Amino acid sequence: MINKSLIAAGFAAAMLLPCLAVAQGAAPAQEQQAAQGDAEAGRNKSATCIGCHEIPGYKSSFPSVYYVPRIIGQSARYIESALKAYRKGDRNHPTMTAIAAGLSDRDIADLAAYYGTE
Amino acid sequence: MNMPASKLLRMKPRSVACGAMLAALSVLALPAQAQDIEAGRQKAEEVCAACHGKDGNTPIDPTYPKIAGQYQDYLEHSLLDYKHDRRKNPIMGAQAKPLTRADIRNLAAYYASLTGEISNRR
Repeated sequence: MINKSLIAAGFAAAMLLPCLAVAQGAAPAQEQQAAQGDAEAGRNKSATCIGCHEIPGYKSSFPSVYYVPRIIGQSARYIESALKAYRKGDRNHPTMTAIAAGLSDRDIADLAAYYGTE
Repeated sequence: MNMPASKLLRMKPRSVACGAMLAALSVLALPAQAQDIEAGRQKAEEVCAACHGKDGNTPIDPTYPKIAGQYQDYLEHSLLDYKHDRRKNPIMGAQAKPLTRADIRNLAAYYASLTGEISNRR
């Protein structure tokens, strides 16, 4: 009995190992893919951004008044981390928090590719 | 506070005049919040340059922003948010905490005075 279950467990482990290896190998690839945005797709998702970030001299009016930052030409990775920080709550701005809450990783990667540089 | 568009349009010249007056006033108010770009440059070399690059344009990590040529008041706002933990980032929190209000004003003025690669025009 014991031997049989040991053999079964060993067999199951042997079968699972390659699956785990594949899953581990696939994870970084997926991450990479998520970070690789599509600039053209980003352009189609940028309607919400244009009204503030593409108007030179435009100021946010709430909760405090200051110029909306220049983001065109930032690195894509910074734009990605900024949007994720808003989504996570590490950065707080009512407008940006609301906008980032509705963005998927894919959206963020695409917008970062559109507005950012490599 | 809904206002017909026609009324808004009629208000426009007055708003422009108000804006001009405010702009004039803000220029008058500047000496009260004197900023020292040279002091900002010195502080920048001490504190910021190691990560954001000597020119503020060449950060050592792609997740760090280019800050040269960024709006002065946005930079000031960001540093204050880091200082007071409203913007959470372990590295920037630690860097901003020891900065005085004057340091922050000077740093923001210095980096805003540089020519950068970032803009609002595609």
